[in-house]
Amino acid sequence: MNTAVIDVSRLPPAVEDHTSPIWWGNLLLLFIETTMFALLVGSYFYLRMNFTNWPPVRSDVSLYQTDPDLGFATANLLVLIASCVPMFIVDRACLRLDLRSVRFGMAAMVLIGLVTIALRFFEFSGLKFRWDDNAYSAIVWTILGMHLLHLITGTAENLLMTLWVWFKGLDIRHARDVRVGAVYWYWIALVWIPLYALVYLGPRWL
Amino acid sequence: MNVSHAPIASLSAPNEQAERALAALWTRPPGLLGWLCSTNHKDIGRRYVVTAFIFFGMAGLLAAAMRIQLAFPENHFLGPDLYNQFFTVHGTTMMFLFAVPIMEGFALYFVPLMVGTRNAAFPRLNAFGYYAYLGGGLLLWGGFLVNAGADAGWFAYTPLSGPDFSPGHRVDIWADMITLTEISALSGAVVVLATVFKQRAPGMSLNRIPLFVWAQVVTSFMIIFAMPAVMVVTAFLAMDRLAHVNTHFFNPAEGGDALLYQHLFWFFGHPEVYIIFIPATGMVSMIVETFSGRRLFGYPVMVLSLIATAFIGFGLWVHHMFATPIPLLGRSFFSAASMMIAIPSGIQIFCWIVTLWTGRPRLRVPLLFVCGFILLFVLGGLTGVMLASVPLDLQMHDTYFVVAHFHYVLIGGAVFPLFGAFYYWFPKWTGRMLNDSLGKWNFWTLFLGFNLTFFPMHILGLHGMTRRIYTYVAETGWGDLNLLATVGAGIIALSVLLFIVNAVTALRDGIFAVANPWLAPSLEWSTNSPPPAYNFYNLPSVSDAEPLWHSPEQKPVVVGLSTEKREVLNTTIMDAVPEHRYELATDSIWPLALGIVVTLTMTFVVFTPWAVPWGMFFSLLVLYAWFWRGNEPKFIVEAAKPKPQVAAQPTLVAPA
Repeated sequence: MNTAVIDVSRLPPAVEDHTSPIWWGNLLLLFIETTMFALLVGSYFYLRMNFTNWPPVRSDVSLYQTDPDLGFATANLLVLIASCVPMFIVDRACLRLDLRSVRFGMAAMVLIGLVTIALRFFEFSGLKFRWDDNAYSAIVWTILGMHLLHLITGTAENLLMTLWVWFKGLDIRHARDVRVGAVYWYWIALVWIPLYALVYLGPRWL
Repeated sequence: MNVSHAPIASLSAPNEQAERALAALWTRPPGLLGWLCSTNHKDIGRRYVVTAFIFFGMAGLLAAAMRIQLAFPENHFLGPDLYNQFFTVHGTTMMFLFAVPIMEGFALYFVPLMVGTRNAAFPRLNAFGYYAYLGGGLLLWGGFLVNAGADAGWFAYTPLSGPDFSPGHRVDIWADMITLTEISALSGAVVVLATVFKQRAPGMSLNRIPLFVWAQVVTSFMIIFAMPAVMVVTAFLAMDRLAHVNTHFFNPAEGGDALLYQHLFWFFGHPEVYIIFIPATGMVSMIVETFSGRRLFGYPVMVLSLIATAFIGFGLWVHHMFATPIPLLGRSFFSAASMMIAIPSGIQIFCWIVTLWTGRPRLRVPLLFVCGFILLFVLGGLTGVMLASVPLDLQMHDTYFVVAHFHYVLIGGAVFPLFGAFYYWFPKWTGRMLNDSLGKWNFWTLFLGFNLTFFPMHILGLHGMTRRIYTYVAETGWGDLNLLATVGAGIIALSVLLFIVNAVTALRDGIFAVANPWLAPSLEWSTNSPPPAYNFYNLPSVSDAEPLWHSPEQKPVVVGLSTEKREVLNTTIMDAVPEHRYELATDSIWPLALGIVVTLTMTFVVFTPWAVPWGMFFSLLVLYAWFWRGNEPKFIVEAAKPKPQVAAQPTLVAPA
């Protein structure tokens, strides 16, 4: 063969950073999910135009104060924001292929995920309406529920990676997977900040 | 320009032994199980195209039945209930099960070949996408066969589609099948984008990407931002309808809003039109370039037009709602935007015409279909500009004028290019040539039949014939034009039959295709027809936008990818400089398993909300298996280890 060649055999066989296709794939999936939440937010404001009181008052049980409870919701928000710290520590440990830190850090992330899921169920009970009461409750339950789905999938993904690193160890490719999972978790936490503000502070402040 | 029909030698295997070794690595396992496990982009792309074509045929038969019903006034071929199901299933199938998936199928087959890589990114996600799509198709048509066919129109407006006016499960089936097809479209879009971003041949910078690939990139972005809207709105609808859930999103009595449905639906539904049309423009660009024998006129303008179309396409949705109480300012804005989108489309048309005009066009069958496309799409575009005007739209709304308009845009704008693409790429696909003269018959009957069917509908619409009526009385005077349209539909059916005959006979005893039968410039023609499982023995590199037209044998080739695992080369996003290697997932049964679980979930959720938690549980189980049974990593570290040396530059060895 007399053609010039580009020999790629000395290029790294895997990378851990944003040049990896799976990092991009994850980002694109987050575009999809962010669009979904944006549409829910749009629907929230659209439905709000039909109400004079938002949330509506409940004359049936003389419940005039129907803003959703702040307690568990705020606790969950703080847990979610704080959870980015251990996730970030795991993220950095992956770069060093520090198996011990990744093992314990991921186990901690699973526990934190379970806590946020549990808190979310208490959040539902702090809403003053059932999902089938009116359009307000429909959209609020959906926003909380869709985010709950992400808490579950995010925690399930962290559990999977935890099992992997405990049973199989850590190599560059799986360290990359943990790091991509970390990006997902940061998104789960950060996207909740505006949604929390909308659902819990919106009725009080807007 | 010295183009050859033969495969490019420097990209092919040096000897038979090397060929067999690499083929063994990339070929799927044998047998039915191996076929179900396949993650090869060519298998998956072909599945999409064949399945979508079958759905096209079935939805076409429904259309034929509707035309028979409307051929004469007060006809009794189909009753009103069946007619409702027929037009709904026809429209739903054509939009969700034919147009989008077939374009995606072409993308999944040809994008990896055109960018010069061995498989699409995320092969298992890709395989799963097809199964989800198939599940959606089976759900819709399964329902239809047991008299539970969707019957509220392909956009299922509330309140008609709500629990009060559509009892039973017809609309539930519709809403849940949408979710399945959109999962498929979204995964396909992610696969295409990651492939184009990261797996392009060295040197294929953004300004050297073939226009078909550009079109698919733009389309995939549109899918990512548009499809969530239809998933959200059908989820709202399904929740409003589902027993024990009974939300009130669209119920005005509880503060819900029927117009919210229309906004969300058309926020998806209008971009959907461009999701179908933009890939077709990509096909047209490739065909025009090849058959005019010169580089495409105005490449940068073409790319910018595609991107402009995508952006403007998201600002038009309200023009479907001019007949609803929306603010005057909204009407003016969306009316202007709807007229504005004619500009980028017009630019593309002019670029194609200039390319043909200044080249040496060979009027082969693919180009014939492209010429038909240009003519019909311009007509459809003109009626589109008419409908963008609010006062005119209020007159035409819900009449056959609109039916004529969107069939000109969708059949003229997408199906004609699609047939052209079939004739153009069939040899690459199958290794056989389609018959030329049968192809010409195919074209002329389609062109004639199409215009006979749909042109009279403009006039019928102006005369006041509304959409979705199952019959009409003789005194309306609509009978003659309707009969003419029905005759046209018969000719279309004949034309599609000719195509099927052509394809079947070509598969059996068509003449063998060489690697590059049309002397085309893009990379998919540099390898054998059909391509080997690994696509290219040595990956190509690129130094211009028409690689096969500029001494392809002299260009450097990529060597040094693994011959023991399925490895591809990753390059940088902007300039496609080699960056690192990347191991793709192997063939696996788990994508099929996940497809089955997701399909069953969406089937049971027609009846009970408990399908969701159970479905989620089983999906996670399957995903665990999917991941766990991945490629075994070669280097597992049991303890902390310093980061290995990276970023060795690729070595460029000069020819001897």
